[in-house]
Amino acid sequence: MIMLIYAAIAIGFLILVLGLFRKTRSNKADECMPDNHSAPNTGNGRWLHLSERIFDPTDARWLAEELGFPKLAHTLMLGRKRLAIRWLEALRTSFDDLVRTPDFSPSEAPEGSSVGSWQMLWLTFRFKISVSYALLVVKLFGPYHRLIPSFSWVPFSRRSERSFRRPALVNSRSSH
Amino acid sequence: MGERGSRGACPSPAGSMHILGIVISFCVFLLGGLLILRGVVSGLIRLFPLFYSYIIYCFCGFIGMYLIYWLDREVYPSAYWIYYLVSILVEFTILVEISDQVFRPFPAIRNLGRVITIVITVALGLVYILPAILESTHRRPALLSFALRASVTKAIILAILFYMARHYGSQLGRNLGGIMLGFSILVAINIAIMASAKAFNSVLIAPIFWFMLPLASVLCVLVWTIYLWELAPMPSMSAISPTAGRDSEAVALELTRFNSELSKILHK
Repeated sequence: MIMLIYAAIAIGFLILVLGLFRKTRSNKADECMPDNHSAPNTGNGRWLHLSERIFDPTDARWLAEELGFPKLAHTLMLGRKRLAIRWLEALRTSFDDLVRTPDFSPSEAPEGSSVGSWQMLWLTFRFKISVSYALLVVKLFGPYHRLIPSFSWVPFSRRSERSFRRPALVNSRSSH
Repeated sequence: MGERGSRGACPSPAGSMHILGIVISFCVFLLGGLLILRGVVSGLIRLFPLFYSYIIYCFCGFIGMYLIYWLDREVYPSAYWIYYLVSILVEFTILVEISDQVFRPFPAIRNLGRVITIVITVALGLVYILPAILESTHRRPALLSFALRASVTKAIILAILFYMARHYGSQLGRNLGGIMLGFSILVAINIAIMASAKAFNSVLIAPIFWFMLPLASVLCVLVWTIYLWELAPMPSMSAISPTAGRDSEAVALELTRFNSELSKILHK
């Protein structure tokens, strides 16, 4: 019986691998290109301003507490919740596009910056965990809850952020 | 054969199967030599150093084992088992090579493959492979269980790497795809024949170790020789226009910006 199970595993694995091998090799180059229409540019100030509006509870509070329309405030909160989910999903899509961006620097460079590669992987994990948790919290409790962990207590992440920011600052100073 | 097997000696069948096993092993040896030669000529040896180090290990191991076989038949069984056990572990270097190469074009997740390989190997090593060795009372069932479960672990890692490559749109290319395909064939056949060896025990162990394992190796090395005959460029690096790509530092800055933007919004 165990032999049959393992034989099935072996055959299943080979079929799966052959299928994935064919698909991975036959993929057109455009398929791995990011779809710029679905993912907004996070550098766009208007898009960030939109997020501030979505996650700002002032409007809902004003409706509920000062004007006395709790039902309307609730409806507004539900609308904002939908928008917040869409915004977070769009942010995640945009991030995935960035992760899928190939590197065109010379092949020697990656070997030299292996520490940077680990830091980038940590930032990728950190973002994925944060955005998934944020989506869960928004879906469960709405957009106005402060239950999102910051990860700022992790010394490694602070160091990595600083080390990446430094060259950017140097570049910006030199350009002035 | 049964007594020899129970003492942990290397089993070898008699008659025509014995000669056939030697012929197949020599085919593996010749193909391995050709693969190394082509690797040196085409420059692939510099692109896949871990993979070629494994091939060189097998090539030298083959010479060493046959030298021992012809010179000292008494030492051969223990030398064979040691070589076989080390080979099971050394095969993990191919997985490390594959995991390194699959995500090489993507700076943000360049080390993701290595993380996947190490985490799965350690996790399954502790909960799946190690108990099988500790629970077995005899040497041969322990060895078969170890070989079988190590192959299943390799299959799981390969399947996940294939899936992740597809998920992130990584174009494997002819060379890397060939390494993955050849190794998958080897792993799948190993699972099937080790499971058979466990089920039928002493009846099948002689043909398996003398005949079936080299046959699996010849198939695998044949696929590698075909796919690694010459250097093929990575499609993901050549097909996409250079304007779509960024250097590592730009990606690192973008990653930091994404994280800080998300933190800023979530901390309000």
